[in-house]
Amino acid sequence: MSDTPILTITGLRAKVADEDLEILTGLDLEIRPGEVHTIMGPNGSGKSTLAKVLAGHPEYEVTEGEIVFKGQSILEMEPNERALAGMFLAFQYPTEIPGVSIANFLRTALQARLEDGEEVDLFDFQDELMDRMKLLDMDPSFAERPVNDGFSGGEKKRNEILQMAVLRPSLALMDETDSGLDIDALQIVANGVNTLREENPEMAILLITHYQRMLNYIKPDAVHVMVGGRIVRSGGPEVALELEEQGYADWKEKEEEQEEVVTA
Amino acid sequence: MSNPAQAVEASSAEEEPSAEEDTPSSLDGGAVERLSEGAPSWLSERRQHAWSVFEDTPLPSTRSEEWRYTDVSRLLKFADLRVAPDGASGEEGTRPAGLTAAMDEDEAAAGHTVVVDGSVVHVDLDPALEQQGVILTSLRAAVHEHGDLLEEWLGTEILPPEDGKFQALNAALWSDGVLLYVPPNVKLDLPIRTTRWISHSGSAVFTRTLIVAEPGSQVSYVEELLSEDFDQRTLASSAVEIIARDGAQVQYVCIQRLGRGVFCQSAQRTLAHRDSKLDTLNVSLGASVTRLDLNARLLGPGAHSELLGLYFGDEDQHFDHCTSQDHIAPDTGSDLLYKGALDDRAQSAFRGMIRVHRGAQRTDAYQTNRNLLLSDDCRANSLPNLEIEADDVKCSHGATVGQLDSEALFYLLSRGLSRHQAERLVVLGFLGEVMARLPLGGVVKKVTRAIERKLKNG
Repeated sequence: MSDTPILTITGLRAKVADEDLEILTGLDLEIRPGEVHTIMGPNGSGKSTLAKVLAGHPEYEVTEGEIVFKGQSILEMEPNERALAGMFLAFQYPTEIPGVSIANFLRTALQARLEDGEEVDLFDFQDELMDRMKLLDMDPSFAERPVNDGFSGGEKKRNEILQMAVLRPSLALMDETDSGLDIDALQIVANGVNTLREENPEMAILLITHYQRMLNYIKPDAVHVMVGGRIVRSGGPEVALELEEQGYADWKEKEEEQEEVVTA
Repeated sequence: MSNPAQAVEASSAEEEPSAEEDTPSSLDGGAVERLSEGAPSWLSERRQHAWSVFEDTPLPSTRSEEWRYTDVSRLLKFADLRVAPDGASGEEGTRPAGLTAAMDEDEAAAGHTVVVDGSVVHVDLDPALEQQGVILTSLRAAVHEHGDLLEEWLGTEILPPEDGKFQALNAALWSDGVLLYVPPNVKLDLPIRTTRWISHSGSAVFTRTLIVAEPGSQVSYVEELLSEDFDQRTLASSAVEIIARDGAQVQYVCIQRLGRGVFCQSAQRTLAHRDSKLDTLNVSLGASVTRLDLNARLLGPGAHSELLGLYFGDEDQHFDHCTSQDHIAPDTGSDLLYKGALDDRAQSAFRGMIRVHRGAQRTDAYQTNRNLLLSDDCRANSLPNLEIEADDVKCSHGATVGQLDSEALFYLLSRGLSRHQAERLVVLGFLGEVMARLPLGGVVKKVTRAIERKLKNG
């Protein structure tokens, strides 16, 4: 595996675009191809914001720092340009797109990856989609259902991983993919992700979660604890186990102390 | 029948090239007289009467509720319009490419008619259906061959000239149109398709459509309105009368893809008798100004009508859809869904009325108008209405006007779609719901293609 990082985040500060609310307060992170990094942290620590900022959500504004993806700054890139460069965000709350079937949606997404004049081969696409749905234990009828419209929480999450499986990103940001999944669904999703990793050992994953249980299936190379918009501790899988036992109480206290210092 | 476009070419080759073009004439009493030459007296009298109603009826004013959003005095000058030259006298082999291209896209049909500049220039019908008594013909021919049918239905109390200035003008000046008659219990598996073309800038074209479905019969009718873009204001006026007798099932689809410059005015009346099912789908994509007046009447217990519509406007397009659902008999149902997407500076108005007449108990009537705005400068007005004179009814109405959801847009962009591709998916998904409710052969594909072409041009 290459030593050149696929993602380097340095001193990242970001705020809500229309407000003076800073959420990321100086974050550093480096991920190499093929690595699985986990970010854990209490509610409101900025985990989902980090995922959205990386994907280019217009709701957030980067005020300081740098994000380099595959050797290139992506701060000025549109969300679709980042996706075409190989980034994929599995949403915590996937959006409903009424009237647009999953098959049509994914075909259009693949089409967007082709040069002008090239067309997605419909038969190849259909085969690929069916194959991918099988991997995630999804009924073939899913392909014709409107994207996330009327889906259960678990179906929405599975649909995110289906899209990831079809679009084959080089960096997958998985934002609380495990929440809302029962244990059987969690295993299926995790197996699907592991299959994708076997197919493409260079694929890196940034996995945002509250719980250790996902990490039983997808083994992380690094675990980071995020509190107050920055990473306060990094280590191996043992960090996740510690957190599971002790919670975030220690870190929150430290953060509060820090805030007091700042306001004093 | 497999290639109707070729059939058109063939029939045009048989026609005599005209020696001289008709001199374009104004919309006046003289035009009414010329149209009345050789016509039976009942028809001449109806034309004369309609003309006098036209003359006595003031121009629709934005001060009236029904025309609040469409200023006719600004959008159309009757004095500038000329009666279109007779389309049947067109030169040999000169069927417009746009017309043949549209027909090439069509799927199988039980019969076709082609109407050029208000004149029927081609008719074909499956001979087996002809033997069963199905009539598909031009109104010009029908005046002589099926005069009794026309005298009974055409422009009578179904769609009288008194309904409005445009209705009166059409009743006075209609040049031709289509008669479709389906005898009792005859069921057509494939639709009848009509393609209408206008070729003269600044002309006024008046056509009528009369569909009579006898008890127990079944038929679907798909028509498409086409033209080039015009520099001068051009009027396409149509009057559509559809009667579904007891237990008949009728589907009517109109796909309006006229060019810019056209003022498209259409009055449609549907009469649903006992246990009949009479559904309409109006697709408005073209023209500069579109005004539709659709009145669905539920006349017999068990009758049901779906009123479906979709519109997609860009640039300065203006759509005004005015609908009414008249529940006259008890135990009837109607369900309206009109959805529109607007871009650039396009405007739309929807004015819908559900009227439950006295005694029409156990009516189920619904009305929904939804609008999707894609730009900051477009505008949608929606005015749903209810008038209920019975006490045991289920009625609802609703209207929404919404922007393209920013979260949905981000979701699509995050998968690599460009903003344009994302809008295309969302618009087709939004409007597709309407087409899914009336999945007639080829209509969804055709309309989807037309919408995609519009999205590409944007």
